[in-house]
Amino acid sequence: MAGVPPAGLDNEQMLGIAEKEMEYRVELFNKMTQSCFNKCVDNKYKESELNMGENSCIDRCVSKYWHVTNLIGQLLGSGRPPV
Amino acid sequence: MDKSMIAGMESLSEEDKRMATMIEQLQIRDSLRMYNNLVERCFHDCVDTFKHKSLQKQEETCVRRCAEKFLKHSMRVGMRFAELNQGAATQD
Repeated sequence: MAGVPPAGLDNEQMLGIAEKEMEYRVELFNKMTQSCFNKCVDNKYKESELNMGENSCIDRCVSKYWHVTNLIGQLLGSGRPPV
Repeated sequence: MDKSMIAGMESLSEEDKRMATMIEQLQIRDSLRMYNNLVERCFHDCVDTFKHKSLQKQEETCVRRCAEKFLKHSMRVGMRFAELNQGAATQD
């Protein structure tokens, strides 16, 4: 999404776009954090450390969440209705 | 905020200052949101009997672990997320 600023936009508009972009990133991060915590971390809280299994689950979960984000982005952006 | 930071702020342009204010506001909003979320999650996972008015020892332990664990989790996700944003992610 980030890239070369399109011509014809003043600073005000650029700042607005940057703000939306940042909000989107924060929201994505928050949702990703919550989803992966729900999926990977045992909610009995026997200890406060993340164990090895949880850690590798988190890494894979983040990677997959990212892929799903890109995949759906492509589907929505391709202009044809997803099958 | 120390003096060097204020000195740094003065050399910033008007847009940069507004950008900094915007980021600050986002951070405040986000940390409040995170606080609320964490309370909701740990309360939900740790407290489910109401025989007493105050938190029991094991509930308190659970809440502490829950909060610590979530923060550690959040830091790890943050690290991985930053890598992906920079396109520095390794395949698998």
